[in-house]
Amino acid sequence: MIKIETSLANLKKDIAAFYKPELHHFMVMNAVDMGETMEIQWFFCDYAHPCETTCFYTIINPAEEIPSIRDIVVSAWVAEAELVDLMNIKVENTDKGFVLEPDFESGPLRKKK
Amino acid sequence: MGKQYEIPVGAQHIALLEPLHFKFTTENEKIINTDANVYYVHRGIELACCSKFKFRQVSFVVGRVCGLCSISHTTAYSQVAEKLLKIEIPKRAKYLRMLVIELDRIHSHLLCLSHVAENSGFEALFMKTMQYREFSMELLEAVCGNRIQYDFSIVGGVSRDLKPQIADSIISRLKTFMPQLDELMDIYQHNWTLSLKNKGVGAITKQQAMELNLVGPFARAAGLSVDVRNETEDLLPWKEVGFEMVTETAGDVYSRNMIRLRELYVSIRIINNIINGLPEGDLITETKAFPEGEATVRLEAPRGELFYYAKGNKTQVLERLKIKAPTFSNVAGMVKGFEGNEYGSAPAIIASYDPCLSCTAR
Repeated sequence: MIKIETSLANLKKDIAAFYKPELHHFMVMNAVDMGETMEIQWFFCDYAHPCETTCFYTIINPAEEIPSIRDIVVSAWVAEAELVDLMNIKVENTDKGFVLEPDFESGPLRKKK
Repeated sequence: MGKQYEIPVGAQHIALLEPLHFKFTTENEKIINTDANVYYVHRGIELACCSKFKFRQVSFVVGRVCGLCSISHTTAYSQVAEKLLKIEIPKRAKYLRMLVIELDRIHSHLLCLSHVAENSGFEALFMKTMQYREFSMELLEAVCGNRIQYDFSIVGGVSRDLKPQIADSIISRLKTFMPQLDELMDIYQHNWTLSLKNKGVGAITKQQAMELNLVGPFARAAGLSVDVRNETEDLLPWKEVGFEMVTETAGDVYSRNMIRLRELYVSIRIINNIINGLPEGDLITETKAFPEGEATVRLEAPRGELFYYAKGNKTQVLERLKIKAPTFSNVAGMVKGFEGNEYGSAPAIIASYDPCLSCTAR
């Protein structure tokens, strides 16, 4: 797995420069709760051998809003909606209520303080 | 422009095999927009795996993510844990994992095909396909001890060996199944009424499949050559046992049927090759290490690419486990595939997607 660090400010620029639909496919987003901070990850995989997995990641304050990449990766809305529900974080233009009911309050995958 | 109607389908509906909800916007019986929700079966499995269970127990927990592709989940988890433990499993264990994955693919593909037939109004074919599928369930029970949710892959290898008489039984049952598969192929390929319901329906182009990042038979039916078995050789040697990529071009319900049927022939060949060339050796690699660092694994489940991410912190309990099921990748394509089709075709289209919400919502 290749890990590439990015920032919220550069995220869209970095992913736009990397992602080519005919060369890679977007797999999923993930978040690792580290207490005061959270690591947000975007996973891609090459179609061609050796089919390397590439992970863009950034460390954020959980209160920050993450930019949506759905104008670059059309299907990213599914992964973004899942992360909003399960991690109780904010993603641009994404409402709660896709994998959990809309009135479910806390992110079940967040660490208990 | 005709009057527009919103038609909710699900979470409980006779055409839905899984608890998901679609809201179709229709105009003159044609679907022009679709909304989807999958929030009915979230079970908190990822959380449980990182809080309530030790890492060696997690392979038994993820086996409960899905009844149909349980072996894919336990194998993918075991592989990601083995990466964190930095161990290599015996070759015999790799072959046995591939054997059960392919037996599982046979029963899963036949289940999907039967539901497409049922949702297309062909109940006799549904019953015939289900009848022919039964042998694969019996073989899985003989090999793993369970008809579903088999705890066969464990961290370090596999939990049971393949007895010679069971290996002989697999070869002979597959031989019996071959003419039955030919018969099913003939019906799904040439039956006129089924063709009317399936050809040109729910189509996705190769370009759309690429842009929407589709996986599995859904993508291959549209001509996109994606199959993890063709892409990674480091964890399971698929090409060594005769894997061959199958693709179609039309991307419709008919093509998805053809992909699944043609993949059954590939699975049968792989199983025969595995049994004929099964290496001798141990079933498990023992270690007393604890998982450390982070790792990812991709595995081709019956519905497509299954992805596991795990992070260990040198303790018995994982720091984070992330599961991405194939249906999760296909949600965007599922929504797109309805567009422009008649509302009456929706049940057959849904069945041809082979959605698994149990995996998706976890």
